[in-house]
Amino acid sequence: MKPARIAAVLTAIGVALLMASTMAAQLKSPDDAKTGLKLLVQVSNDFKRQITAKNFARIPHENMEYQEAADALRSAIKDEPANFKAKVETRLKASVAAYQKVSDMSANTPDVDKLMAEHGRAVAAMNAVFELFPADLRPDPNAPPRRPGGAPQN
Amino acid sequence: MLALLLILLGCGHKPKPVQKVVDLNIGSDGDLIAFRPDTLTCPTGALVRLTFHHAGRFVSARHNWVLTHPNQVEALSKEFLDNDGVLSKDDPRVIAATPMCDKGETVMTQFIAPPPGDYPFLCSTHPEDMRGILHVTK
Repeated sequence: MKPARIAAVLTAIGVALLMASTMAAQLKSPDDAKTGLKLLVQVSNDFKRQITAKNFARIPHENMEYQEAADALRSAIKDEPANFKAKVETRLKASVAAYQKVSDMSANTPDVDKLMAEHGRAVAAMNAVFELFPADLRPDPNAPPRRPGGAPQN
Repeated sequence: MLALLLILLGCGHKPKPVQKVVDLNIGSDGDLIAFRPDTLTCPTGALVRLTFHHAGRFVSARHNWVLTHPNQVEALSKEFLDNDGVLSKDDPRVIAATPMCDKGETVMTQFIAPPPGDYPFLCSTHPEDMRGILHVTK
């Protein structure tokens, strides 16, 4: 390949990457998007707690909340460019399906270990949604719960 | 004679101390599982009228506001996790609680502010994430 062609290809890749990062950094409602992403993590963490506590009957409700959180994210990006929304929608649908599978399993196979393994796969699907957003909007799934004043309450 | 009568009546009739009433407002942080604000303050002995508003728009998680004693919050939280947030009546660890609240709704409770100190409050359906502190002053 000629040096000029290589340079052109590299330039095109650079421009594409720059456009992608610029678009992500210029979301029209970054706060709403941040809230939507945080909601997904919160509900996902509640899923995990209900599995650990063996509250299997509660899991379908958590699944409904996950779908509602997904709607909150859809609403947050409703004014974004169509190609970005399409990318988010594809991965969001996959994550909703993954949590639906956890919910279905909780009714048929109420086994903590199997459900936790399936939940892990659902978290991976959720993280794939996060990857489409700027790093500063992504919630930390391992962040400890906020405590008022930073002090322990016990 | 009349003056004497009025003096006698006045001496035997102490004025009732006026009950201090404090209105506190708190809500959920939109759809997020957090209180806003997460700290409240009131004086001891006051009649507290607390209003809780569920400010969520999307997620149908239900919330309430449960005030407990210091050193009881972790035990109560664990119990709520195990029993899906069911608050048993006359639980001595609970000082006050609102009814459960759906998104967009507002609920109230009232109670006499306990002795001075920092009292934790929490939502029984999200006991680990949704917490705050009521500062009761002298």
